[in-house]
Amino acid sequence: MTMKPLLDLQLGDRIVTLMAALVLVLQIAMVAQRWIVTHIRIFAAQSCFLAMIAATIAWFNHAPHIYIAAALTLVVKVILVPILFERLVERMDIQKEIEPIVNVPLSVVISGGLTLVGYVVAESFYRPDEPGLGHNALAVAISLFLIGFFTMINRRKALTQVLALLSLENGLFLAAISLTYGMPLIVELGVFFDVLVAAMVLGILVYRIRETFESMDVSRLRRLRG
Amino acid sequence: MMDRLIESVAQLILLLALAPLVTGVIRTLKARLQTRRGPAILQPYRDLRKLFGKGMVIPETASWIFAATPWVLFFSTILAGLMIPMVAAEAPLGLFGGVLAVIYLLGLGRFFLALAGLDTGSSFGGLGSSREMTISALAEPAMMLAIFTVAIGAGSTGLTEIAGAAIGQNWRFLAPAQMFAFAALALVLIAETGRIPVDNPATHLELTMIHEAMILEYSGPYLALVEWAASIKQLVLMTLLINCFWPFGLQPNWFGFGALEGIGWLLAKLLLLSCAIVLLETANAKMRLFRVPELLAVAFTLGTLALVSTFLF
Repeated sequence: MTMKPLLDLQLGDRIVTLMAALVLVLQIAMVAQRWIVTHIRIFAAQSCFLAMIAATIAWFNHAPHIYIAAALTLVVKVILVPILFERLVERMDIQKEIEPIVNVPLSVVISGGLTLVGYVVAESFYRPDEPGLGHNALAVAISLFLIGFFTMINRRKALTQVLALLSLENGLFLAAISLTYGMPLIVELGVFFDVLVAAMVLGILVYRIRETFESMDVSRLRRLRG
Repeated sequence: MMDRLIESVAQLILLLALAPLVTGVIRTLKARLQTRRGPAILQPYRDLRKLFGKGMVIPETASWIFAATPWVLFFSTILAGLMIPMVAAEAPLGLFGGVLAVIYLLGLGRFFLALAGLDTGSSFGGLGSSREMTISALAEPAMMLAIFTVAIGAGSTGLTEIAGAAIGQNWRFLAPAQMFAFAALALVLIAETGRIPVDNPATHLELTMIHEAMILEYSGPYLALVEWAASIKQLVLMTLLINCFWPFGLQPNWFGFGALEGIGWLLAKLLLLSCAIVLLETANAKMRLFRVPELLAVAFTLGTLALVSTFLF
């Protein structure tokens, strides 16, 4: 009978680790992706896995308030934000192909390298004597930040930079739930509201940039318009 | 000794007989998915019989390499096929080498095929050879990394040990390292067998063909040998993939009713993998040649991640 909770925890750890790995793969797939619409959908899939991780942690840790976080992730990041962005892409009739600054094979290899960095950094936080759930996910979370930052630098178009920012935020969420088993609910609510508002504001901003400069290429913002 | 001989012969027969069937099943399933009737499943066998009955045209400019290549290709592929566990966990020729030997035997065949493409002096052959070599040079590191990941888990590069270690641990394939390695190897499989996002096995359009361009000058029995070797190579790589990662149903040896059960499992797993390949081929368009390195870079990165996460998780 005493073995049961530990076994459960191990199973939960397995599931969380697996899903975290999938999240990481999707992040790298985003770096490799050239089509904006597919990029948005990969983001939605990534967020969906994230919601599943949150739900798994909630289940195995008996922390019902994380369910709310999971549900919010599902609603905001899997449904609302992708729909918002796909509409934006449709309305602006923008060029559908992403042109990264560093070419794709090199970007992918660089993201692999960044993942290594993430793992090395996360290792110093690792405590083998504390059996916990999803401590492996921290490495993935740090990798998500780093790759997210890199993607933001690597992209020219405002919309894809916003998507990179959101995937970076996914990393933040993963770190939060895997380290603390859920922040206080009010904080999470605030964060989600932030994400939604940020996505909307950035959407409008992208639209304005496009209206004013007839392009989403942010490098054109440096030029003055008289 | 006698046992090993019987096992080798049994696996040889299985390889030779099953390989065209796998090709046929993939073609038929693909046709059905695209609401075409498609050729019968047994069509590849008929093609082989027809080709073996025909005369040959050998280009005047061709040297001995042209004549030697089909044999080298065929026998190196078969030898590689005998080194992998198909039905029994122990590969019949497992003593002669592990997974590295398998990869380089396949590499030997590919090398000769590329030479033969150049040998005839036709521009298409050279083009095919250069493309094939570019792709395989990119695919090989990814494949190596994935294989090493599995080998570290098993503590050996012998395929018998790898399959054995995989049998021992239930649900091991759910570990991230295994999953990354599986994904990397699956991408490599697509590139190596010339499946759709990389190469189209059903076209002779000069701009896109890779494998077909190299064997353009072959006809008659030589063509049959090359085609047969290509389908055996596909079977070998598919079996390698499924038996390294999902070794369910591998038998301790080839004798008794266990062998039938093992063959049943093998067929079921091959069918499942074929369905996945068919879905992938139907859902994707062929990539431009210069986009292929992107796919293989993803495979390489996945392989690296696999190797790294072996040490961490």
